[in-house]
Amino acid sequence: MKRSFWSQAVCAALLALACAGAVRSAEPANDTGRAVYERWCSHCHDPGLHHPGTNALTVKYKGVKPGVIREWTDLTPELVRFWVRNGISVMPPFRKTEITDTQLTALAQYLSPQSVEPSR
Amino acid sequence: MKTPPGIREADFRRAMSEFERVIGAEWTFSSDADLDLYRDAYSPLKGQPGELLAAAALAPDSTEKVQQIVRIANRYGIPLYPISTGRNLGYGGAAPAYSGSVVLDLKRMNRILEVNERNAYALVEPGVSYFDLYNHIRERGLKLWIDCPDPGWGSVLGNAIDRGGGYTMAQYRNHFDAHCGMEVVLPDGELLRTGMGAIPNATTWQQYKSGCGPLLDGIFSQSNFGIVTKMGFWLMPEPEAYLRCTISVPRYQDLTPLVDTLNYLENARIVTGFPDIATPLLAYPPVGQVQLWNETGPPSLAPEHQALLREAKLGYSSQLEAYGMRTGIPYWQLWVSYYGPMEVIEAQWQATQRHFRRIEGASFREVDRLQLPIETDQAFAHHEPEFGVPSLRAFSIGARSPWNPTPSHGHMWFSPIIPRTGEAIIEANRVFGEAARELDMPLFQSFTMPACFWERAFIFILATPVTEDAATNKHYLDGFRKLIEVGGSHGWGEYRTAPVFQKAVMDVYSFNNHALMRLHETLKDAIDPKGILSPGRYDIWPKHLRGGRR
Repeated sequence: MKRSFWSQAVCAALLALACAGAVRSAEPANDTGRAVYERWCSHCHDPGLHHPGTNALTVKYKGVKPGVIREWTDLTPELVRFWVRNGISVMPPFRKTEITDTQLTALAQYLSPQSVEPSR
Repeated sequence: MKTPPGIREADFRRAMSEFERVIGAEWTFSSDADLDLYRDAYSPLKGQPGELLAAAALAPDSTEKVQQIVRIANRYGIPLYPISTGRNLGYGGAAPAYSGSVVLDLKRMNRILEVNERNAYALVEPGVSYFDLYNHIRERGLKLWIDCPDPGWGSVLGNAIDRGGGYTMAQYRNHFDAHCGMEVVLPDGELLRTGMGAIPNATTWQQYKSGCGPLLDGIFSQSNFGIVTKMGFWLMPEPEAYLRCTISVPRYQDLTPLVDTLNYLENARIVTGFPDIATPLLAYPPVGQVQLWNETGPPSLAPEHQALLREAKLGYSSQLEAYGMRTGIPYWQLWVSYYGPMEVIEAQWQATQRHFRRIEGASFREVDRLQLPIETDQAFAHHEPEFGVPSLRAFSIGARSPWNPTPSHGHMWFSPIIPRTGEAIIEANRVFGEAARELDMPLFQSFTMPACFWERAFIFILATPVTEDAATNKHYLDGFRKLIEVGGSHGWGEYRTAPVFQKAVMDVYSFNNHALMRLHETLKDAIDPKGILSPGRYDIWPKHLRGGRR
């Protein structure tokens, strides 16, 4: 049952990836998204050796993608939502008392290149 | 809709409606997707029968709402399982000890109620993380340090009542011991304050721990007798300077005097920082460099060194010792540190060297000499929690890296307390090494060193990986329980453990036919007769779930 949930979620995320161009941020400067990133994601995903998420992704993608998720060009809001609510490897999922659905939408837009803000 | 065991669905629906009236629909969770977020991300039983799961979750934002929820739960007999930030990963996460409980998620209670620089204390709610408290202090330019464990997103309050530890001076790095005053909601919804807080309008709640009369704070840690909604902590005044040094000794037998001398120096407050014992010859790092080794890889060893390591028994062979003496690689290396005015800590370092010179061949090195404060970024060049700087670097443990191409899906901490002696280090390696080999548990390479979180004892802490394979996890789960028994048979017990192991661990604490557990149960029956609060936490069950045992 759990496997089926994961498969569906991954399919949904991949489908969303295919449709990525359709999503755009309405916010010119996504302060909420940036704040959520800084509070919850930056400690593992910022550039530099001391960030285990960045190190893990660097090794996983072997140069095909950057290790720093803010530099990804194909990250969709749906993928961000999926990983935040499901986790992966040693990264646990985040509860709604930590990142609300509204904050997650802002984070997803902040991290998605199609909703890029100039200073991201 | 999931329902707690023994609760009729209609009653649970009514109770949920009442909960919702208290906290609002947005903070009342019962869908499968929402409840998935309350699973233990590092559970070895994930997706398997026996996984501990919540029936619902509630997220109040005030003590008053916690009281109202508790009263409703009491009326319906609904089990509640409070969590603070839910980040107790490796020790159970956000999942309840009793499947079908309603998780009481206190993350929204995230107020830092006071930070007092003059008397160096803070008063916080359960949802306040180490990052929050650190940032609060930095933003206000207060000359105070926090003591944090490795992952900075944990709850200051939650970690303390789970009796976690950190990395600065002994009186701060024992987080429960560093607390001063609690506010607690009892299982009937009553509110109490401990210590001086029991005086209305108390002015010294965070300055004097014990008040007058029986000191009860301890019964609200690792237990299920109340919900701690506020807690005070003594903070460390920002030191003027920091000195980190190493003492290296050449022979296997030097371990015993090394530890004994350390004990004297720390107990006498001559060594003031986190002591950390490594063994360069056996290629085991100090705790403070585990993250660095995960990030940059372990040092490479000469082929001769590797071959000798493979042949060593319990970390010893005369050839290995001779190799170390020939190449200058120390058998043991103690890292010590000091906080304070430079002229004081230099004198402490001088006294330290004088004491260790009794060990023939001891050598000394100054590693870091820093005037404080330093910037947050600078702390990362060292071991940041030793500067009270929280981070998430610890998630390098198990994460994918060039040296770990197969990442884990979490880990379970096996963490027995052993005596703080050199003999105990050797004995723990023998006992757990033999058991781990017999049980086929991937815990040991050649030799393991314990951690010095506590002043008077070691924690022989080992990470057991959680994988994607259920059969492997089951194997490790069974092996872990067996290791607990093995430790118990040598007089060693865990300091803390995940709910799936709490029965096994508490069974070890069995002196006089489990007299301690029988008292826990007597207290449980008196304080929480309906057994609504965290049933089964640390194996303390209410009467109706005890199955007639003991």
